[in-house]
Amino acid sequence: MSSPLDTPAVSSYLYIAMRNEVRRHRTERNLSQQQLAEAMDVSRQTINSIEKERYTPSLPLAIALARYFDTTVEAMFDAGGRDA
Amino acid sequence: MQVDAMREPGRRPYWRSRWWMPAFSLFLGALMFGAWAIGGSPGEGVFAFGVMAVLAGVFFFGRRSDTLQGLGGPGRDERWRMIDLQASAAAGLVLITVVIGAWLYEIASGRDGSPYSALGAVAGVAYVIAVAVLRRRS
Repeated sequence: MSSPLDTPAVSSYLYIAMRNEVRRHRTERNLSQQQLAEAMDVSRQTINSIEKERYTPSLPLAIALARYFDTTVEAMFDAGGRDA
Repeated sequence: MQVDAMREPGRRPYWRSRWWMPAFSLFLGALMFGAWAIGGSPGEGVFAFGVMAVLAGVFFFGRRSDTLQGLGGPGRDERWRMIDLQASAAAGLVLITVVIGAWLYEIASGRDGSPYSALGAVAGVAYVIAVAVLRRRS
């Protein structure tokens, strides 16, 4: 039986591996990374880094991506667990 | 913080203009030429201006390179700003370490530590002011 003492330390939430569905949404719409980058007014390298999960976008960019693909931030970006 | 994609269309920041880094490079080149000329070595100034002009050309004509675009303006998005911030912090750390090391060496050699003591003091005061300003703004 779990108890409040089992709650992970707060600092561990900072190291959650962030996964995202940007590539899936982009390819479903037959968009190139360059096209998506131009729509978001960022560089193609940034889109590539986001898709490879090497870079976590800022909240405004995450919201812009979610709106662009007509979905929510929570659906597009998934903090799957503490395996970073 | 407003994401670049949310800005009003047509209102890109000036540092994301394709002309920014070439113009800034030429401006620095002109400063360097002026300093060399005032110091009595205009020939060196011409050489320095030439180097900066070449750099301006690299930034202007290297538009197909993502790296040059990120360094030079048009591709300078939030990720590049983060890279720039971290790189600047790393460079600052290296610089202050060298300044402190040089100051300690000067002191240990029986000298007064200048100009490293002044440089270190400027760095320290600048850091404290930056922390104070950023703390109030955040």
